Amino acid sequence: MSALLEVQDLRVTIGSTAAVRGISLSVNKGETHCLVGESGCGKSITALSIMGLLPKGSVRETQALRFAGEEIGGYGERQMEHLRGNRMAMIFQEPMTSLNPAYTVGSQMTEVLRRHRRVTRTAAVDRAAELLARVGITAPGLRLGQFPHQLSGGLRQRVMIAMSLMCDPELLIADEPTTALDVTVQAQILRLLAELQKDLGLGILLITHDLGIVARVADRVSVMYAGEVVESAPTVALFAAPEHPYTRGLLTCVPVPGKVKRDEPLGSIPGVVPRMQPGFAGCAFRDRCPEATDACAGSFPRQNMSNDHQLLCTLAPGWTGSAAA
Amino acid sequence: MSTTATSAPAIEVRGLRREFRVRQGIFSAPRQVIAVDDVSFAVPAGSVLGVVGESGCGKSTLARLILNLLAPTSGDVLVDGKRLADMDRRARARLIQPVFQDPFASLNPRRRVRDIIAMPLIAQGDVATDDMNRRVAEAMERVGLSRDQAQRYPAQLSGGQRQRVAIARALVLRPRIVVCDEPTSALDVSVQAQILNLLAELRRDLGLTYLFISHNLAVVEHIATEVAVMYLGRIVERTESERLFAAPRHPYTRALLASVLTPEPGLGVPDVGLGDIMPDPANIPPGCRFHPRCPVAIARCATEAPKSTADAAGLVECHLAESVG
Ligand SMILES: Nc1ncnc2c1ncn2[C@@H]1O[C@H](COP(=O)(O)OP(=O)(O)OP(=O)(O)O)[C@@H](O)[C@H]1O
Ligand SMILES: Nc1ncnc2c1ncn2[C@@H]1O[C@H](COP(=O)(O)OP(=O)(O)OP(=O)(O)O)[C@@H](O)[C@H]1O
Ligand code: SF4
Ligand code: SF4
Ligand SMILES: [Mg+2]
Ligand SMILES: [Mg+2]
Repeated sequence: MSALLEVQDLRVTIGSTAAVRGISLSVNKGETHCLVGESGCGKSITALSIMGLLPKGSVRETQALRFAGEEIGGYGERQMEHLRGNRMAMIFQEPMTSLNPAYTVGSQMTEVLRRHRRVTRTAAVDRAAELLARVGITAPGLRLGQFPHQLSGGLRQRVMIAMSLMCDPELLIADEPTTALDVTVQAQILRLLAELQKDLGLGILLITHDLGIVARVADRVSVMYAGEVVESAPTVALFAAPEHPYTRGLLTCVPVPGKVKRDEPLGSIPGVVPRMQPGFAGCAFRDRCPEATDACAGSFPRQNMSNDHQLLCTLAPGWTGSAAA
Repeated sequence: MSTTATSAPAIEVRGLRREFRVRQGIFSAPRQVIAVDDVSFAVPAGSVLGVVGESGCGKSTLARLILNLLAPTSGDVLVDGKRLADMDRRARARLIQPVFQDPFASLNPRRRVRDIIAMPLIAQGDVATDDMNRRVAEAMERVGLSRDQAQRYPAQLSGGQRQRVAIARALVLRPRIVVCDEPTSALDVSVQAQILNLLAELRRDLGLTYLFISHNLAVVEHIATEVAVMYLGRIVERTESERLFAAPRHPYTRALLASVLTPEPGLGVPDVGLGDIMPDPANIPPGCRFHPRCPVAIARCATEAPKSTADAAGLVECHLAESVG
């Protein structure tokens, strides 16, 4: 079975910034693949480049960008428009960036469906009401007639999810869908996404900076650092045995209730994520890495370890170092 | 660091209330928002009171009242046993200082780091230049800023470095109390850990007292000795940190704790059982203000407001909470 989404060696440069530097990942039907990393590491740019929504002035290169078995890397704007909101949909962190304040929830939701499907207005309204109820909104009829600013943040995000499902997409890309929400609402929205996925067999690419979310919802995790995926593994394996020094460092930074005693310092990583220039060679983490050696400044390959675990690090077993060492 | 049992609490708040009049549209009548509603508590010197609760529950309003950046509608704030309102501005600044969420917004972009940190000293008047230089250098060293960063502007620093500048500025007058309003919420986890460790170290070394506001419960658990849970302007539960996390008594506290997604795979996303009704500070429900969302509400909750009861296990405001002797 081929993957629903398959990205091979994606590179994006925006002006003098190498935002994405050779990412490969895939999402299967019914699977949640989490892309996790700190601010500026290229998560959103990765998502936008899959959707064909990169900011002006960006240059995208890929070896392959396949959706449902078809290469879409060469698609023009018309063809991408046909896919977007239809077979692949995206949810953003701040719902107000994609909801139009001037139109009611109902008219925006039905618009999406009628752009891609030949349906009557009444049928579209019925579908919208059904989906609002499906995402746990108690008075769908009332909400359809309201404007986005009349809704709370949690309700807006539910509306966004309902709207993204109007055309029965196969792939959902969710970019920090709960970051702006309260923790209680976040839990409700994530639960909802998991339920929908089970019922509809959606493939989900979920972007987050929160390792707690990753642990709870992902089937597979890719850890990003400075435009690259430095480690990728099935969720259970990654948390049980993180291999990359960055992944290991990140996990010690997260306070976990009951785990670290008060007055005992949290683990931390010195320094900050660097901004990458094109042509950078070697490991981008080496200034912050406690295990860096001279070999880390050279080039080294991504290693496939056992159990579908991939690592980009000179510490990977099987990589013996360059001849110069 | 020695505090005798008889010394006044570092912060004491008595019957504190703050109302706002808000207009939603130009034609609608102004509505009254009770952001902080009859709140009383005392924070012993040397301890950390964590304040948690959802967006809009009044955390920042409480912080601004305690910093005297906002006048209470009624009630009193006492700092170190003295009424805040009676205190001279300069004396107040020597006692209590703030650290806010967004260091970028709270640092003047046109001033160099050293001038930003020196500002509270200058505002005190009559501080000799060499004394000032020495104290700025001392504060910078204390928070882990290097000497060469003194001449930089905020825009030339990372988010974590900016937060260090804000902390150095708060410390330069050697205050006894620091009010931190979401000090790490805008930071990446690796940087958040650096700042949390710094704040914990400063408290230990300098005997500081913190009021520490955060919507991140794991962060609060890590740093706070006592926790207050706010809901729509009221403190609904307050107790020692360990006890709150081990045995929460208020249904809202239980929902908040259930929503914490720790990085432990396999546990899934819990059902917090709150439904889709969102709290509205301009429209506080009668009876128990949490009753429309409370999963265990009884008939009485809709009409009769529970009283705040204090016992050996702390303070709780719920009809169903049993007294602990
Ligand atoms: N429109 C743009 N123009 C120029 N550079 C950009 C633009 N958008 C993003 N970048 C740069 O590309 C890099 C990757 O950014 P991206 O937004 O993908 O990060 P991210 O991982 O989504 O971060 P965050 O967690 O903050 O959302 C960053 O260095 C960023 O500054
Ligand atoms: N200056 C103001 N004018 C009018 N209303 C205000 C003002 N400041 C706060 N409020 C209202 O008071 C209530 C409490 O706000 P506050 O900022 O204290 O909440 P918070 O708990 O800090 O929320 P958050 O987690 O979003 O920071 C909200 O309803 C808010 O809209
Ligand atoms: S390649 Fe070297 S510097 Fe990079 S993470 Fe591995 S050990 Fe550290
Ligand atoms: S008083 Fe009633 S509604 Fe309020 S928290 Fe307790 S049980 Fe729930
Ligand atoms: Mg992003
Ligand atoms: Mg606030």
